[in-house]
Amino acid sequence: MNPIVEASHLTKRYRTVTAVDDVTFTIDANKVYGLLGRNGAGKTTLMSLLTAQDFASDGEIRVFGQSPVENAKVLQNVSFIRESQRYPEDFKAKHVLKSAPWFFPNWDADFAERLVDEFRLPTNRTIKKLSRGQLSAVGVIVGLASRAPLTFFDEPYLGLDAVARQLFYDRLLADIAEHPRTVILSTHLIDEVSDLLEHVLLIDGGRLIVDSDAESLRGSATTVVGMRSTVDEFVADREILHRDGLGGLASVTVGRLSPEDRAAATAAGLEIAPVSLQDLVVRLTNASSKEFQAS
Amino acid sequence: MNKTMSSFRLHFANPATTIFMPLGILGIIFAANWGIWWIVGRSIGEDAEARGDFAEGTQWSGAVTFVFVWMLVVAVQAMNRTFPLALGYGATRRHYYTGTVLAFLALSAGWAVILSVLAVLEEVTAGWGLGGRMFSAIYFSSDGPWLRTWYFFVLLLSFFGVGALTGSLYVRWKQYGIVGFFTALAFLAIGGGALIAVTNSWQRVGEFFVSLGFAGVFALLLVPTLVAVAGGYLALRKAPARN
Repeated sequence: MNPIVEASHLTKRYRTVTAVDDVTFTIDANKVYGLLGRNGAGKTTLMSLLTAQDFASDGEIRVFGQSPVENAKVLQNVSFIRESQRYPEDFKAKHVLKSAPWFFPNWDADFAERLVDEFRLPTNRTIKKLSRGQLSAVGVIVGLASRAPLTFFDEPYLGLDAVARQLFYDRLLADIAEHPRTVILSTHLIDEVSDLLEHVLLIDGGRLIVDSDAESLRGSATTVVGMRSTVDEFVADREILHRDGLGGLASVTVGRLSPEDRAAATAAGLEIAPVSLQDLVVRLTNASSKEFQAS
Repeated sequence: MNKTMSSFRLHFANPATTIFMPLGILGIIFAANWGIWWIVGRSIGEDAEARGDFAEGTQWSGAVTFVFVWMLVVAVQAMNRTFPLALGYGATRRHYYTGTVLAFLALSAGWAVILSVLAVLEEVTAGWGLGGRMFSAIYFSSDGPWLRTWYFFVLLLSFFGVGALTGSLYVRWKQYGIVGFFTALAFLAIGGGALIAVTNSWQRVGEFFVSLGFAGVFALLLVPTLVAVAGGYLALRKAPARN
């Protein structure tokens, strides 16, 4: 399959920081990608570059096989409402829903209307009077109803209540099943989205530190719990991602374990627990920030 | 729909700021002027000489200037407000700017018609029954209603053109862009003045504009307007959509 996004050695330098630092990856069609990372990791900047809302300092981007910069053919298939999207100050939510269809050829007005009801969005309220969650809902509704072949959701969960989060999850899954498209979802609230994601891009300090299938990433780390001495013996020649301890007990997160490893651990009386995507990201981003401090 | 037209429409998605508010403010200014004319009319009574002075004075009214300056503000605001959203909607800067300039053309045309109709009404009603003048002020000459409409249009267009340029400069470089532009403009004007003074050609410059007449000066105004519009595109072309 031809990738619909190709980024190579993508770099964005601002005066004092390098927000995106030599990033190379590809995005395949009709999958849900998670762009994960801490606040300020460079997620929004990276998405701005892919959608030509900002200009790269270095490197190359292809979207649908072409450079997206000032490319109407590419951009008409892209939707990117950022988390801190600026709307005209006098706009009410209804003005956004009125104007968005002018720009998106696949806009589904009925769907948008249904989503407005379900998210209980007060359309007659000015944008700046909306709560954080309602503002997120505006972005989510535009992102969903636009049905752009490449849709970005920037922190869609910010401020949404549990019901609305579930609603987004359900509607997104149902709609991409019916109208397959590529979704890139940026978030630092990883547990909320982890079931949605098929592929994970983890960015930290502007660098891409994980580019992996979500399924294999989930199995890529394991926590081993048991008596300290037994645990230490078991992990002796393994890469340790994280270590916790309480008294004589230890809990150590290590990399992928083979079935033999697992059998050996169980035989030694150790407990094996899977590591959630969120925990894994926390471990990985901590590790890499330590690396940066050392250098 | 074509992205240029979509960007055009984006400026009118909420017509309150681009259309209704300036109309409302114009109404208020008109009402205030009307009130002043009434007070002056009452106090000068039927004295023919004073009446003449009054008519002489109000033809220099600058009340309508507000509309032109306001359009510059409308242009800067409109761009600053809609640019990031248009990009979020997947418009290119080129289409956005073209649609924006078309919107400014339409607004100029609409306002030119409104002002011209009001000017004609003002003449027909002998200054709204009070001998006041606001829309048929002398700067728009007495070349008849058609040419006056054209003059209004060109003048409005020039303010929108500068608005498109400063709007783009603002979107690209925020306040530094606008401050830089007006600083450069001020030094250009001073430099031009100095050049004219050094070459002792104030009289020739004056004669040049007189020889152009109203029609010529307004036509000449199209040149800086076009330069401003083109400059605006150069600035906007590389502008990022910031948060």
